[in-house]
Amino acid sequence: MNVLEVSGLTKSYPAFTLRDVGFTVGEGRIMGLIGANGAGKTTTLKSLLDLVRPESGSVEMFGLPFFVNERRCKQHVGVVLGEIDFYRYKKVRAIADVTRRFYDSWDETAYRRYLRTFSIDPDKQVRELSSGMRVKCMLALALSHHARLLILDEPTSGLDPVSRDDLTTLFRQLVEDGTRSILFSTHITSDLDKCADDITYIKDGMVVESAEKRRFLRSFDFLKETDDSAPLTLDEIMIRMERKHYDISASV
Amino acid sequence: MIYRLLYKEFRLAAHPNLYVFMCFGALVMIPAYPYGVVFLFGCLGPYITFLYGRETNDIFYSVLLPVDKRDVVKGKCLLVATSQLAQLILSLPFAFLRTVMLPEGNIVGIEANVAYYGFGLMVYAVFDLVFLTSFFKTAYKVGRAFVLGMVPALLMIIAMETAVHFPSLAWLDGLEASDLFRQLPILAFGAASFALCLLLACKVSAERFECVDL
Repeated sequence: MNVLEVSGLTKSYPAFTLRDVGFTVGEGRIMGLIGANGAGKTTTLKSLLDLVRPESGSVEMFGLPFFVNERRCKQHVGVVLGEIDFYRYKKVRAIADVTRRFYDSWDETAYRRYLRTFSIDPDKQVRELSSGMRVKCMLALALSHHARLLILDEPTSGLDPVSRDDLTTLFRQLVEDGTRSILFSTHITSDLDKCADDITYIKDGMVVESAEKRRFLRSFDFLKETDDSAPLTLDEIMIRMERKHYDISASV
Repeated sequence: MIYRLLYKEFRLAAHPNLYVFMCFGALVMIPAYPYGVVFLFGCLGPYITFLYGRETNDIFYSVLLPVDKRDVVKGKCLLVATSQLAQLILSLPFAFLRTVMLPEGNIVGIEANVAYYGFGLMVYAVFDLVFLTSFFKTAYKVGRAFVLGMVPALLMIIAMETAVHFPSLAWLDGLEASDLFRQLPILAFGAASFALCLLLACKVSAERFECVDL
């Protein structure tokens, strides 16, 4: 069963267009959304959450059309926007106290457990937490209302390799029991190598490929060069797809 | 839902200044002072809170909660209206006290009487309508929204403070029972315009905010 089905998502800006984006996220799976900076990953995530109003396209979440069931769907979604911190000068406790009031299935015992597991002090202000801890803090809030779908926008950007490894390991653990799914955007391909089941690749606002990881890697065999014997890695695929040629001599 | 949104606004979104300015109704205890200034603080409080909200990414947090996008607007409208009404209500005991302790009246401008509260509600009605609808066009241009809202609000305050100096309008400045009775329609009109403008501001702002790309 798919927890998220996105199709035909289109959004135009003066200098950029997200065109006909579509993919699905299955139950208990991690979908990685990759693309270079400015490819449209964040716009895609914002469009499917109604933070940005798409011009066309449909989003089905848990089998329901999202845009007319926003309130109901969001009860089961947890979102972490990696680049955005909420209320830097408020204590974690205050944010949790407000958040819990909005969710029917808030589980206080689970919340306390996640705080302990992630070693988060609820009496610390958000600004006192490291970047990795802030992501964990938002995850703790999402997991405490038993979110079935976690949408994470660049959660590992700006983190050191140890924190990134820590988070990707955590993501794998979160989907282990098959009840949660993760949609996870990043430009750091090694993170997806470690934890993604499926991959959607966006380039210049369009989906190049969306498939199960092994099938995804095979679909880019056409990029192989004569001395490539092993399958291409995600890194190589992205670099070869995005490689630009600058005609320096012409501009001199 | 509305209660929860309002709780969220006061607990997380409100800047401490909003609470301070809510207490500024006590300025009506100053013997000679343009009491219209109290309304300026009632407009300044929401402005600073909205600026603070931009700094703390309050709108993003709110939109990601299990609420409709337009509910976020309702929460903000309620926050503004509640803070302004609370300010006026908190000033009432002081307005009463000054009539007992300072019976010589306010020589600078209008007395803190029934008409004063009616004008205050009208000032807030106009400010809120312009400020909120302008802000929710973008959900980040707070300064522009504040300037646009303050222009009519200031003109109304100046008009109120000036009017009481005309002998024919001296009843607006009165504290006698007959004057207060005569001022009641101003209060009623103020209350009605405040409620109507708030509803209109909420409706228009919600429609605008639904089209905003965050």
